[in-house]
Amino acid sequence: MKKFLVFLEQREGVVKKASIDAWNRVQELAALSGGASLSGLLAGPADTASLEELMQGDGAIYHANHDALALYTQDGYARIVLEMMTKEGYSALFFADTALARDLAPVLSVRLQASLLSGRPELSLEGKVARCRRPVYSASAEASFTPGRPIAVTILSSGQPVASIPGGRISFMPFPLSGPPDNDLHRLVRRIEMRSGVADIAEARIVVAGGRGVGSKEGFALLEEVAELLGGAVGASRAAVDLGWRPHADQIGQTGKTVAPSLYIACGISGAIQHLAGIGSAGTVVAINSDPHAPIFDVADYGIVGEVHQVLSRLSGAIRDFLKKK
Amino acid sequence: MHFAVCICQVPDTASVIGFVDGVIDRSRVNEVINPYDEYALEEALRQKELFGGSTVTVFCAGPPSAAEVLRKALAMGADRAFLVTAEPVDPWQTAHLLCRAILAVYSSHLPDLLFCGKHSTDFQSGQVPSMLAELLGIASFSGVISIEASGEGITLEREIEGGVESAFLPYPALISAEKGLNIPRKTSIKGVMEGRKKPLETLAISIEEPPFVILSGIEPLSRKKTCCFLQDETDLVELLGYKLALLQSSRKKRQ
Ligand SMILES: Cc1cc2nc3c(=O)[nH]c(=O)nc-3n(C[C@H](O)[C@H](O)[C@H](O)COP(=O)(O)OP(=O)(O)OC[C@H]3O[C@@H](n4cnc5c(N)ncnc54)[C@H](O)[C@@H]3O)c2cc1C
Ligand SMILES: Nc1ncnc2c1ncn2[C@@H]1O[C@H](COP(=O)(O)O)[C@@H](O)[C@H]1O
Repeated sequence: MKKFLVFLEQREGVVKKASIDAWNRVQELAALSGGASLSGLLAGPADTASLEELMQGDGAIYHANHDALALYTQDGYARIVLEMMTKEGYSALFFADTALARDLAPVLSVRLQASLLSGRPELSLEGKVARCRRPVYSASAEASFTPGRPIAVTILSSGQPVASIPGGRISFMPFPLSGPPDNDLHRLVRRIEMRSGVADIAEARIVVAGGRGVGSKEGFALLEEVAELLGGAVGASRAAVDLGWRPHADQIGQTGKTVAPSLYIACGISGAIQHLAGIGSAGTVVAINSDPHAPIFDVADYGIVGEVHQVLSRLSGAIRDFLKKK
Repeated sequence: MHFAVCICQVPDTASVIGFVDGVIDRSRVNEVINPYDEYALEEALRQKELFGGSTVTVFCAGPPSAAEVLRKALAMGADRAFLVTAEPVDPWQTAHLLCRAILAVYSSHLPDLLFCGKHSTDFQSGQVPSMLAELLGIASFSGVISIEASGEGITLEREIEGGVESAFLPYPALISAEKGLNIPRKTSIKGVMEGRKKPLETLAISIEEPPFVILSGIEPLSRKKTCCFLQDETDLVELLGYKLALLQSSRKKRQ
């Protein structure tokens, strides 16, 4: 049986939802192919109490619970992953698609002499990563890549939640560090600063995004309100970001983030190809636009033609009524 | 201080991208400098202005036609350019070619800072920068949105999910640029004239490493959907709420 390793990322002691989703998706993939045994590697101190409930299938989580790993450092993290991979003979390593994974995975690819893939992997019947598909050229095409090396490192694109998997025996084991962990002379992460209270669009189940049609920075208050009601996050088109209405972290598209929410509501966004590049894996797409010929309607499941503020304020009323009834 | 920038050529996303026999139809696309590489180059030029006596050297691995993006970089203000004429098929090969080119030009005296783009907008692999740093044996930091250089090293920031991470890297180091780092300058006519006189050399380096990944197929994606137009918001809410079960109160969820 093949052995897979899933990297579990923590920030400020909280294991990222994206990593838990990645774990569950790898379990699903493994179950659909010949089967593989999964282990997790969690670097840094973290609260593991809820993991047993959230993580599906069976597996052991190796926890490198060391203060020196609380903040991410490229070399420090690369070393423990490398040690784990070589010691235990894993054939595949998986990451959730995060800033950390994009920084760390290429380094591991070199050190492990492993193929680095990203997107949606497919496993062969022998349980090997056979290929990985992902959108290319601003999502105007989809390419598939096959690994040329025995070991594959894969960054999973964010995607829809998975069906439930039998089992659920998650055990925890300490992962002892063999060397001094804090000799990362290369690079010192000084600090991280989290913006409090804002949901991140890359992880949100529902994204309400606004474009130039929102009209002003203040106009986004209505989007915030609808997002808050739905437990979602607010995103933006590049036009809205370049106008200074939203921070760049909110930008969706080719030069911004790729999002994969179950519901995407585009408000006053025309639907330029560079914007669509970021929503290729979104589930249901709803567009609100005053122009019935706006290209966004060509890629939407549902559309409302109208003035964005009027539609949104009525929408927030309708959502409130719905939630009250429920 | 010496700065090096790696730039690549990508199809302009505004052009219609078509495919013939499983590869992109190059006859219909307009090639441009990768947008992220413009942020990388702009930052190198700004650092050069801050530190007197500095140089900016650009590298590109690609077909002879890629000389065009190097000319553009020289017009923007780079001092010299090297075209590595080779056609790598994956980031691993690209990183090796660039590594060899940089070592050939600088031997053991690596530039203080190397700049790349966060990813190329064609395949968006985002792998070349950290691979190259690893091959050169130097530290790297990806997706940089702010840089503060001092005599010993650089203080950097990048966006992470829901926040910002900052770090200090001693020289030599490699960074990859994210949108928001700066606003690239426009090239002037004068710049273009001067750029023509600057040295653009060709380096012949052969590819020796087998690729790590192989592109096994490419298919156009159609994202067209049939849009169902709704009369009003209540229809939408009922539909999302009942039929698709997508709506759930945020308050309920937290309980
Ligand atoms: C290299 C490159 C990279 C790019 N990367 C990105 C990227 O990552 N993300 C991105 O989004 N864009 C990106 N772009 C820009 C992209 O091409 C578009 O310019 C941008 O997406 C347009 O934003 P928009 O839809 O908000 O604005 P517009 O195209 O101006 O559209 C505004 C829309 O709002 C509608 N509208 C106006 N008023 C109202 C109203 N009162 N009520 C309802 N609707 C209204 C209009 O009908 C229109 O459809 C990139 C471009 C390039 C060249
Ligand atoms: N052929 C190339 N020549 C020079 N630099 C490159 C080349 N390919 C990639 N790069 C650099 O690596 C960055 C990321 O590219 P990629 O890993 O291909 O997404 C680019 O923004 C460039 O800075």
